[in-house]
Amino acid sequence: MWAVGILTAVVLLAPIVFLQQKLDRRIDGQLVKIDALAQLPRGEYLKPALLGYHHLGADLLWLQLLQVVGKRKNSGDEYEWMYHALDVITTLDPQYAYSYYVGGVVLTSYGNRVDLSNSLLEKGHRENPSEWNLPFLLGYNHYFYLGNAPKGAEYIGVAARTLGAPDFLPGLATRMYSEAGNPDVALEFLEALWRENPDMAMRERLAVRAKEVIIERDIRLLESAVQQYKSTRGRFPTKLQDLLTSGAVAQIPLEPFGGSYELDTKTGNVSSSTHPKRLKVFRLDKEGRA
Amino acid sequence: MKVLSIALNTFRENLRDKLLYNLLIFALLMIGSSLLLMRLTLGEFHRLLLDIGLGSVNIFSVLIAIFVGIGLVSKEIDKKTIYTIVSKPVARFEFLLGKFFGLTITLLVNMIIMTAGLLAVLVAQSVPIEAVLFKAIGLILLECMVVTAVALLCSTFTSATLSAIFTLAIYVIGHLTADLKTFGQKMDGLGRSVLEGMYYLLPNLERFNLKGNVTHHIDVPLNELVLIVAYGMAYAAFLLLLASVIFQRRDFR
Repeated sequence: MWAVGILTAVVLLAPIVFLQQKLDRRIDGQLVKIDALAQLPRGEYLKPALLGYHHLGADLLWLQLLQVVGKRKNSGDEYEWMYHALDVITTLDPQYAYSYYVGGVVLTSYGNRVDLSNSLLEKGHRENPSEWNLPFLLGYNHYFYLGNAPKGAEYIGVAARTLGAPDFLPGLATRMYSEAGNPDVALEFLEALWRENPDMAMRERLAVRAKEVIIERDIRLLESAVQQYKSTRGRFPTKLQDLLTSGAVAQIPLEPFGGSYELDTKTGNVSSSTHPKRLKVFRLDKEGRA
Repeated sequence: MKVLSIALNTFRENLRDKLLYNLLIFALLMIGSSLLLMRLTLGEFHRLLLDIGLGSVNIFSVLIAIFVGIGLVSKEIDKKTIYTIVSKPVARFEFLLGKFFGLTITLLVNMIIMTAGLLAVLVAQSVPIEAVLFKAIGLILLECMVVTAVALLCSTFTSATLSAIFTLAIYVIGHLTADLKTFGQKMDGLGRSVLEGMYYLLPNLERFNLKGNVTHHIDVPLNELVLIVAYGMAYAAFLLLLASVIFQRRDFR
């Protein structure tokens, strides 16, 4: 009797497996896994329903999201759903800084959706002002993808002032400010950082960078005077002293590293003898060349 | 003294409950499963271990508190063993207190076992263990004590099934009372007073939830912790008093 029972059960198991496989193929075939993300309820509604287990909920959704982010190629809609899922995750746990960061990178680099990336990162920055990498990524998005150097510089500046930020950030921020045509802002920023930073080695580096920004400011001043000279006299000046005698500038500024400013009489460009390269952020162009 | 002997007896009785072992094994399995899930995640895998571990300790302790708690009194009544106790010189409130502390001891022992499992996982994965973890687990015990008191209160006036439903409902509401207050503040007049009255009457179980602090390494200052513990104790005492009043008037025929 016993054996018959077990045998029947085993025999029944075969159709169960068969039916399950059939169902899996039918139903899962129609619905791509990523669709489930679009159907997630909003975080504001989901959070109370989780009865205090919202951190765990955020973890499980994060796990689900990772399984679809791993796909080789996602369509445009799918990035919106990913954004929605990330929004839900970060509403459940607003301090989940890592998910903002990864989300920000994926939406920009893979999805080319800087708008979504920025709105996620701004939310993250609002909720986690002590995380330096969120404003850093925001600055990166504004500078490289949206071509908005002043805004980029502003965010990188915020990131640089955050505790635990890496040492290269102040330098990057000042390059951006200089390129955005704001060397004065860059100088102010450096001065503030210098005051906040008790580390002597760091202060020394900041002082060097401040001098470089001064060069950038002087060159901009001199070049605009050269252009002014050309528009009144119809030719470039032969030397920088000409700007002084014509009254285009009140004085020729001293080069802060002890060198001098030189004028290219053919192009009207001014350069520094100690720092012939201009201060700007070097970016990769579309083909990936520096 | 009488309370203590009833408590120890309740503890021994609970140990014979199969339900307890089922829940405990599931909890340990869940904590262990975090090791598997950890491999699927990206980035902060520490947080997954802590979230799943603490979540399991919490939910299974609450389930024990509810499903063992509802049977504390009703079982005695169903089996008629209550007659042998009330006929002895034991006050009814002492009986209730004994039952309450008996289950609290059971919960404590269970939580020690679950915490040992969690710590083993954390140590194996070399996750730094912080003081706030133990504070969070302590408050889970306090939450369970409040839930036990609710279950005990319900079981003094109704059947086991209804007690389970009521206690589960209070557990759910207890985590949503902050919203109740928010709704109340948006209303005016009578609606506001009713909702605010309900807010203060119902337990605010979210106050015992420090799981997020553990995940994000945010310590809780001692004075805040003392306030939370005082609130939990006061609320449990209030429920036990209410239960005693009802139980005193109850007829066991």
